[in-house]
Amino acid sequence: MRRVNAKVQDGAQARVHRVVELGQLPRVWEPYLSFLVLVQSPHCKQSVEQLQQSGLPNVYWVDADGVELGDVVLPQANRDSALVVFRNKDQHHALQLTNRCNSNCLMCSQPPTQARDDWLVDEALDVVRHISESPKSIGISGGEPLLMHLGLRALVETIATLHPNTAVEILSNGRLLSNPQVREPLLEGLNANVKWLIPLYGHADFFHDFVVQSTGAFEETLAGLLTLQQFKQPIQLRIVLIKPVLEILSELCAFIGRNLPFVREVAFMACEPIGFALANRDQCEVDLLDWTEVLANSAAILHRFQIPYLFMNAPLCALPQSLHSVAHKSISDWKQVYADECDACSVKADCSGLFAWHERGWKPTKIRAM
Amino acid sequence: MPDGSCLGISQTGDHAFLSGPELQLLFTSPDALPVSRQADLKSRNFLTSAGATAGTDRLIASRIAAKKSTIQQGPSLHAIVPTLQCAHSCKYCQVSRSLVGNGYSMSAENIDKVCTTIFESPSETLTIEFQGGDPLLRFDLIERAVLTIEALNKDHRRSIRFVVASTLHQVTEQMCEFFRAHQVILSTSIDGPAQLHNKNRPISTRDSYQRTVSAMELVRSVCGHDSVSALMTTTKESLGFPEAIVDEYVRLGLHDIFLRPLSTYGFAKRNQALLGYSLEDFLRFYWRAFDRILYWNKEGFELREVYASIILNKILSTFDGGYVDLQSPTGAGQSALVYNYDGFVYPSDEARMLAESGDTSLRLGRIGESLSTYRSSDVQASLIEASTVERMPGCNDCAYNLFCAPNPIDAQAQFGDRFAPPLLTEHCARHLQLFDSFYLRVRDADAWTLDLLYRWAAPKGLGAEQ
Repeated sequence: MRRVNAKVQDGAQARVHRVVELGQLPRVWEPYLSFLVLVQSPHCKQSVEQLQQSGLPNVYWVDADGVELGDVVLPQANRDSALVVFRNKDQHHALQLTNRCNSNCLMCSQPPTQARDDWLVDEALDVVRHISESPKSIGISGGEPLLMHLGLRALVETIATLHPNTAVEILSNGRLLSNPQVREPLLEGLNANVKWLIPLYGHADFFHDFVVQSTGAFEETLAGLLTLQQFKQPIQLRIVLIKPVLEILSELCAFIGRNLPFVREVAFMACEPIGFALANRDQCEVDLLDWTEVLANSAAILHRFQIPYLFMNAPLCALPQSLHSVAHKSISDWKQVYADECDACSVKADCSGLFAWHERGWKPTKIRAM
Repeated sequence: MPDGSCLGISQTGDHAFLSGPELQLLFTSPDALPVSRQADLKSRNFLTSAGATAGTDRLIASRIAAKKSTIQQGPSLHAIVPTLQCAHSCKYCQVSRSLVGNGYSMSAENIDKVCTTIFESPSETLTIEFQGGDPLLRFDLIERAVLTIEALNKDHRRSIRFVVASTLHQVTEQMCEFFRAHQVILSTSIDGPAQLHNKNRPISTRDSYQRTVSAMELVRSVCGHDSVSALMTTTKESLGFPEAIVDEYVRLGLHDIFLRPLSTYGFAKRNQALLGYSLEDFLRFYWRAFDRILYWNKEGFELREVYASIILNKILSTFDGGYVDLQSPTGAGQSALVYNYDGFVYPSDEARMLAESGDTSLRLGRIGESLSTYRSSDVQASLIEASTVERMPGCNDCAYNLFCAPNPIDAQAQFGDRFAPPLLTEHCARHLQLFDSFYLRVRDADAWTLDLLYRWAAPKGLGAEQ
């Protein structure tokens, strides 16, 4: 999410607000939401202060170039910056339920923390209430969102109520779904437009457990996947393309074909060079072009089992021509960039580009114009 | 395996080729196998983990259930034999009667009773197939059945498919209009090029082939190109012409071919010698034709071999296509029923043919009785018992027993005993060889061929093929 410079009026609390225009306020104001009026002319601040004096408790002003109308923002403690937690025109939206996790993946882009962070659930619910235009889809991630399974259910149902046309994607390792005390209160009678994004890194327990650095994870994720099938929940399997995974990718795909034919699709994802991936660079840094044959063969295996697949985070110059049609522009707007070489490229418009932080890490291949 | 290698098949139906030393290690000290090999074997359920395996246990149960799912849905294939009359006098046909004579057709009253019985099946999809004789000789009965079933289905709301198996010689434009209006599919017989076909299927005018082909054209012009498919019977005469037979299917624009062996056990011994051929003869024929089919696919003409699809579905797909003759317990009587012109109900086509040669012991009951009566009959119970791989000696320890089953009706035809040892039957010998060969074919296939074999293995529509 973006951090932007913003002067927020003193008195505004460190909770989520919707950014609005002064003129809109009478139409959109509701007592249980919080608003920041974007300062667009000199009299704005004055008008907001007048409203406050007349007893309006939940409206403050924000003065900033970096925020847009409709943004859902979280003012920072010192009131001179804010986090934009939701922006209407973004292609990708995410809500974070917790920063804790029961796995510890080699390439985790957002290393988990230990501290309790239950307040994140309330904040996510608050964000959902402050969204003014229902997005096409919204992702729920963590950490591991199943650690907050009751909060997760509340969040999913709140989205279903307030934004009935919004598709929800839950990024989870699925492990806790093997536990009846989690899966039943979460899934029983759940009526929402949800898809589960579940990573799988091995066709045998020791490969998967090594990648996620957690013994027993494979068996639990497998049980979780079967639970989701039992509850008729759509699943996207996610495979991050790091070295120990690429080495067994064909076998993993054959395993999926034979055993998990009920998944909607398999997403192959180039590794995001940040977080633990930097610390485990020897395992995580690959030039995808060196693995062309493995990728094409793995795709062919899934094709034989009639399981759709797609590539994410991989620029087109890192993939063989035969896989270009299944490569998606998947990198979130706020962290996506192109390299200098891309300016001369004929397929730039269709390309995922690069993670903004590839400079500190690595590129998925030697970038070249096509 | 015939080539000296060793094939393993696990409880989930996954397979692996193993060398002798690997096999040894698998049983004695699997930890000594290379890690990647351990992973392969684990992922195919040849090895289990020492720790908790809640996920794998659940997975294994669901895989086995998927393999068995088709048998539990109730009868979905209902064959009706409106008449035994036919204009042909094929040497190898055990049932048909000439055009004159009485008592070879079903009564209208029985047609109506059959239509009611069909809906007692809980199956969501129902295939109604009219067989003969040549059922078009009694188009009136087909029409009656189709209209009655459609009327009843207004309440039942099943997904229904009608098929008429016929030489098509009697087909008229008016019939075609009816078929189009009611989405009836036609299945005819093409044994190969004209000379072979006419030799196999004699009629007085000696032009069976020409008549069938021009009738196909008529049907296609009214009902669309894909409204007609064809089946072939492999006779002794066919054995020398595998390529020509396949080429004929391509020439006629047919996209499915089913290389079926001729079952001759119903014949008198004298005829068996005259018409029969060995399994080796059939398989030589089969593989030559198979390679010709691969050739055409490579040329860009899509032609699927149905027998291969059945075997490949068993060994490569997670989902069972429900082929009646390889289900355990048998699909005969359980997922398929034959309502015969003689007023009786039989578990399979072969069973009603046995009845024509005097063995009526496979009757499940009379038309007009309830489906549950057929299903709870002593005959059905014995068929189930004789086709349950876990209890039949020779099957219970067979590597292929997740994909295969004894065919008790075949056994009865061959030995007069549905409990005859499966290992002695031609059914067993043929399928053992087919399974062996297809595993080797899959192992040795290049990427293009593998794509094709997997495409054929998908379970789509296999259930209706006998």
